[in-house]
Amino acid sequence: MRRSRAPVRREPGAPVVNLVIDTLAWLTDPSHWTGPAGIPTRLGEHLALSGVSIAIAMLLAVPIGIYIGHTRRFARVAVNAANLWRALPSLALIGLVLPVTAAIDPELGFKVYPTLVAMVVLAVPPILINTQAGVAGVDRDLVEAARAMGMRESQLIREIELPLAMPALVAGIRSAAVQVVATATLGAIFGSGGLGRYLVEGVAQLDTGMTFGGVVLVAALALSVEGGFVVLQRLIHSPGLSRIEQVRPASART
Amino acid sequence: MRVFRKLALGASMLALALSACSTGGSGATIKIGSDDFDEAKVVAEIYAEALEAKGFTVDRAGIGLGTRDVTKAAIESGQIDMKPEYIGSGLGAYGGTSSNSSEQNKTNLQQALSAKGGGITVLDYTPAQDTNAFVVRKETADQYHLIKMSDVAPVQNQLKWALATDCPTNPLCAKALKDSYSLEPTNVTLLGACSGPMAQALLKKTVDVAELCSTGPEIKTNGWVVLADDKQTQPADNLAPIVRNDLLAKVDQAKFKDALNAVSAKIDTATLAQLYYDVAVGHKDLKDVASAWLKSVGLVS
Repeated sequence: MRRSRAPVRREPGAPVVNLVIDTLAWLTDPSHWTGPAGIPTRLGEHLALSGVSIAIAMLLAVPIGIYIGHTRRFARVAVNAANLWRALPSLALIGLVLPVTAAIDPELGFKVYPTLVAMVVLAVPPILINTQAGVAGVDRDLVEAARAMGMRESQLIREIELPLAMPALVAGIRSAAVQVVATATLGAIFGSGGLGRYLVEGVAQLDTGMTFGGVVLVAALALSVEGGFVVLQRLIHSPGLSRIEQVRPASART
Repeated sequence: MRVFRKLALGASMLALALSACSTGGSGATIKIGSDDFDEAKVVAEIYAEALEAKGFTVDRAGIGLGTRDVTKAAIESGQIDMKPEYIGSGLGAYGGTSSNSSEQNKTNLQQALSAKGGGITVLDYTPAQDTNAFVVRKETADQYHLIKMSDVAPVQNQLKWALATDCPTNPLCAKALKDSYSLEPTNVTLLGACSGPMAQALLKKTVDVAELCSTGPEIKTNGWVVLADDKQTQPADNLAPIVRNDLLAKVDQAKFKDALNAVSAKIDTATLAQLYYDVAVGHKDLKDVASAWLKSVGLVS
């Protein structure tokens, strides 16, 4: 596609139209799709940062959620703590963590680790709360029946509670994933890669095309992640579950 | 008796008129404002105290009013009568182009301001400048023998750079570095100009060269080295009080201008950095810092 260098004709007093034109022009410029500052590179960086954050958050939150949901102990404490954690402003967290991580590695500890930590903190609460609710919400009659049949606790968790809690668990991961993808843009303030760079640099360079191009890209990515999870949830939804839900609608118990 | 009463009345009226004249037009209250960061506030406070020492009445409500957009509107509307302004970057805000000549910037700023708010006058500027500075840690300066910007080109790619996020499109940054110093480094991180992350990156050794503001307190705190701008690429950003003409008409102009010009003459870059440091890092009270400095240079007793 040949890049037009001619100035775009502006309607005076139509700033929204100009904004749309500038943004589209920036998004369709082929030079923005190549190189280390190009859209594919930044997208890759953004997905990597988000993906690793969510993976770490799952490693932390899912086991704890299962334990709390299964034993039904510390549920209130865990939920309150998770909600408090949610309120921590990510930007402040990045600033707080930075001196510590930068001492470990001046390069990654400045540009990557602080944002990673902040995103893990952001992702843990929804995963924890949903996992805990899902496991605790499994029909008590089923659990009792399984125990009566002689199932060990670990078998019970693996074969009954976890499969039945899957929809809630995946919903929690989905919520966390979308939040992380949208918020990982903050890292750019501290030199991190990813789509946030377009927002930070676009604002500094007064380039509205870049800024809103970045906004569009982040929104599109977040929506894609959401859409991907919808598909995933449909795939993993156990057919037996729908039958049970038709007979006895699942009630969420905390 | 009647004659005496008339004489008494006449004498008291004369005395009243004379007293009004002799206090140098202190009937007018001077509303001083400033931008909302420590450096601007402490300079405004210094001007305020210097004027008060000469008998003027000062209203300080406008100090720390807001960003330049806010104070610009305030001085044009008369909400404030005067503020300290950077003649380089301020010129940009008023629609002019800044250069690296202080005198030129002042002239251009005066031109731009003559038409604003019924006429605004630029008084004498300080020797001090707060401009863009390229800074390295002392160890880096020692290792590569770096004193001025021209020293850097041979080793530019052995260093990691942090430049302002607007650098690529700012003619005073990318273009100036390339044209005047042959600098086009490969390892560059873009961070907010004169910001916390910029200073942090240099401190944590994430980068070796950072772009900071020349009077920034972190330079002094960490003993960093400002590379001299030997080819004069950065805008001359001295400070000068800008004053509404309608205020000037209400006061003893000579006395007013002398008071302010005497202060400005004594503010050099080192002084400005120290004042900024005392308020921003030392967390000392604005008024204490201002009066202490005025006393130390003998402008107040």
